Amino acid sequence: MASSFGETDQVLVEEKSSTRIFTLNRPKQLNAASFTMVSRLLELFLACEEDPSVKLIILKGKGRAFCAGGDVAAVVRDITQGHWKLGANFFRREFILNYVMATYSKPQVSILNGIVMGGGAGVSIHGRFRVATENSLFAMPETALGLFPDVGASYFLSRLPGFFGEYVGLAGARLDGAEMLACGLATHFVPSEKLSLLEDALCKADSSDPAVISATISEFSLVPNLKEKSACHWLNIINKCFSRRTIEEIILALEREAADKEDEWISSTIQSLKKASPTSLKISLRSIREGRLQGVGKCLVREYRMVCNVMQGETSKDFFEGCRAILVDKDKNPKWEPSKLEQVTEDMVDRYFSKINDEDWEDLNLPRRLNIPPHAIAKL
Amino acid sequence: MEKVNFRTQVLTGHLQNHRHATTAATIYPLPCVSYVPPEVSEQPFSFDVSSMRKLMDGHNLGDRDWLFNLMVQSKLFNPRLRGGKVFVVPDYNHSMEQQREITMKRIEYLLYHGVFEGWLTGKGPEAEMKKFALLEVIEIFDHSLAIKIGVHFFLWGGAIQFFGTKRHHDKWLRATENYLIKGCFAMTELGHGSNVRGIETTATYEANTGEFVINTPCESAQKYWIGGAANHATHTVVFSQLNVDGNNQGVHAFITQIRDENGNICPNIRIADCGHKIGLNGVDNGRIWFDNVRIPRENLLNSVADVSPDGKYLSAIKDPDQRFAAFLAPLTSGRVTIAVSAVYSAKISLAIAIRYSLTRRAFSITANGPELLLLDYPSHQRRLLPLLAKTYAMSFAGNYLKLLYIKRSPQLIKTIHVVSSAFKATLTWHNMRTLQECREACGGQGLKTENRIGQMKGEYDVQSTFEGDNNVLMQQVSKALLAEYVAAKKRNKPFKELGLEHMNRSCPVIPAQLTSSTLRSTQFQNDIFCLRERDLLNRFAAEVSQYQEHGESKESAFVVSYQVAEDLGKAFSDRAILQSAIEAENNVKDASLKNILGLLRSMYVLVTLEEDAAFLRYGYLSTDNAADVRKEVAKLCSEIRPQALALVCSFGIPDAFLSPIAFDWVAANSWSTVQN
Repeated sequence: MASSFGETDQVLVEEKSSTRIFTLNRPKQLNAASFTMVSRLLELFLACEEDPSVKLIILKGKGRAFCAGGDVAAVVRDITQGHWKLGANFFRREFILNYVMATYSKPQVSILNGIVMGGGAGVSIHGRFRVATENSLFAMPETALGLFPDVGASYFLSRLPGFFGEYVGLAGARLDGAEMLACGLATHFVPSEKLSLLEDALCKADSSDPAVISATISEFSLVPNLKEKSACHWLNIINKCFSRRTIEEIILALEREAADKEDEWISSTIQSLKKASPTSLKISLRSIREGRLQGVGKCLVREYRMVCNVMQGETSKDFFEGCRAILVDKDKNPKWEPSKLEQVTEDMVDRYFSKINDEDWEDLNLPRRLNIPPHAIAKL
Repeated sequence: MEKVNFRTQVLTGHLQNHRHATTAATIYPLPCVSYVPPEVSEQPFSFDVSSMRKLMDGHNLGDRDWLFNLMVQSKLFNPRLRGGKVFVVPDYNHSMEQQREITMKRIEYLLYHGVFEGWLTGKGPEAEMKKFALLEVIEIFDHSLAIKIGVHFFLWGGAIQFFGTKRHHDKWLRATENYLIKGCFAMTELGHGSNVRGIETTATYEANTGEFVINTPCESAQKYWIGGAANHATHTVVFSQLNVDGNNQGVHAFITQIRDENGNICPNIRIADCGHKIGLNGVDNGRIWFDNVRIPRENLLNSVADVSPDGKYLSAIKDPDQRFAAFLAPLTSGRVTIAVSAVYSAKISLAIAIRYSLTRRAFSITANGPELLLLDYPSHQRRLLPLLAKTYAMSFAGNYLKLLYIKRSPQLIKTIHVVSSAFKATLTWHNMRTLQECREACGGQGLKTENRIGQMKGEYDVQSTFEGDNNVLMQQVSKALLAEYVAAKKRNKPFKELGLEHMNRSCPVIPAQLTSSTLRSTQFQNDIFCLRERDLLNRFAAEVSQYQEHGESKESAFVVSYQVAEDLGKAFSDRAILQSAIEAENNVKDASLKNILGLLRSMYVLVTLEEDAAFLRYGYLSTDNAADVRKEVAKLCSEIRPQALALVCSFGIPDAFLSPIAFDWVAANSWSTVQN
């Protein structure tokens, strides 16, 4: 198993009988997924699939984060110092990893004991089992960054109940462990104090059978109460408003609800939408809507087209502006361009879904995954 | 638990055996066939599928996807997990009553989510195109749902819009759009269907009360097949013979309430059920009798003719024939939507049957060799791929028809009537034939209602009958062509309508030797279709006039000339379809798309040449030519074969709206799914 010298420690590997435990190991960067980390994970997953002695994979993070997302700051650095295609290399590798996980023949248990954002969701939600804890904090914050929920989010968000996925993906809503379990992003909730016992039990189980794994996790799991202000209590309004055809209509529907009654949740949701990049909102909504009708592979191919268009920056440079305002200068005051929803035309949105006009550019070429077990595809 | 483990092992074995097939086969026979997704086994696509979808669907793609989303996310649309995927297909094992109830609930769900906003109150081409697009999506889910909605908006709502005037619009359009009332459309009677002018229901004006009295004078005058009438409709447009002052003024339309707001049937109205049907059981078709029901004078839909309070009949159009034609012209929208929906139905069945044929194997042709994929048999290709090519051509024809309807004007009324009649008949016949072929191509799996195709035969059969019997419509096409012919000859003027301009040019000459490149040229394809139409029109005119010279009336001359009339109708239709396909192809810039569209067009033309006996019967093709055509069809089959998957993926029908046999049918039928 060849790997780049000196950088293998971004993922720690433990072998316990038939179980492999991978620990994301960039705690200072909240385990942000770098090109090296993503490459290493891909290598490990592909090797374990071929290795008949491996039955189960556990993925977790070191420190207070599971994984706070793709290392976007590094990507932007690469692009500004070189070419957007350097960024494309990162996303291509990351999306292929997402696809391999989504179609993986052996169970993956992700221990989400901390921050799970963006790319962190990409390396966990596609896996068979997702264990939330009281420390879990989930979000897809891309629209506030001038990006859109990628890493196959158009597949998994769109499969959440009703139109909850639109809400999570567009408003960048933060969910705790109880909410993750309630909406299906997590399959189990285990109090963090029991995690080491769970790990031992999983190793002892020595099985690839999803039913056995599930039963093992269930021994430690419980169903926590939703907090009083949980978005899950607003499901009816979410379904009513976030099912609307366009972003403009979604906001209008929310404003109508707000006019009917004073409601902190509604007004903060409207605020999040208004702060986000108008271009991001529109392409994100369309991506989720298309994703709901497509398989995970097609979702990733489409998202790769989109992310390349975002990086190329021909229609809007919001991604760079968002990274500047949130990650680099940290003034939290991005100047979006176009600045208003109505300025983002259908044509502009269309462009993000088209092939890049460049001879060297290719659509995402997914590995041919033979004999994917049906349970590997239908997880949500 | 042990049992579960065992099963999982067996299944894992089945699912993984492909990878080790070469070594395993030499040691022991494969335990069972495995499913390999066609996306894995087929070559990469040679053209961009999403661009092709854009071209085919033509408009409002985002709106379409939105509506698909709304349906997928609701339990009301009966989502079922099969082989790792969710499918939404109505449960056709429901009783008629259950199907009607769930259909109404689905309508309420769509209403709540704003799907119908602007369907009657919206103005302009954009609103109309959006309405068409959304109806097409609804139709992809279930024909009953679309028809029930279509009756309410297009027939009842359309009648108010087109036959009514401002007072009706103000009172009814918004209320209809919001389903505050539920409308139906009472035209057909037990004794009269296509012949609307023969209906027997009467509306007699009483000047002293200012009311019309609607009456069903005899059993054959009972309104029949009235969609929505049996359970839900509160109002109807009733077509009746108008009697004013002892004079019959012909068929007119009146608004009549048939149920109160609580759903109770109104006094002097009797309603009965049409009963269980071979399909469309989600639509509550009913029969209505009117027992001297009194309605106010204002309920006459008076855009073409009116009755004054003192009982004077007023109409700007004096000729009753013209009045009747002007009256019914707006109903064309029904034929437009039927024609287009027939194409979507054909697309669904082809997508399922072709995907299945790319994963299902039968018989090996070498000793110990693997069994062959169904679609690798040239015979299977010949069954499905020409239908695929026709469906593409007709999809473009449907788009052309929609645009023609949208930009309707008094000058276009005739063209719209003729083209919509021809396309409605041709496209719905094509759909029925495609459904049958696809059903058979899926073997036993085609019989399961969850696999859609077999059930759709029953669901769509009605399309060849409603909004005008297909045969009657085709006769009308021939009659209209003849009228054009007579008018041009009489005045010695060039043809300039109905696409007959080619009659002004010299007669095309078909080369004696037909090479492959000739057969695939648009020039030849146009020529041979125009030649057939031109010659048949000449023959039809000659035959009719010959009968007339022998003393037959024009009507009886038509009746006895039915054979040529039939051939002519087909010739017109095929030529118009080809022209819309050529136009669509010409508007495409992308070379890879153009290339495949060219193949499909050639296939459409050549298979038509092969199938329609008229080409040999009248000598447009020699028997040698016909042999060349046949050879070329087989060649085209093998050229289109590698693109079959991409071509059905371009239909824009989400996986969830296809069926389990279009995907992992081994997993969908595994024992573990029985246990759950």
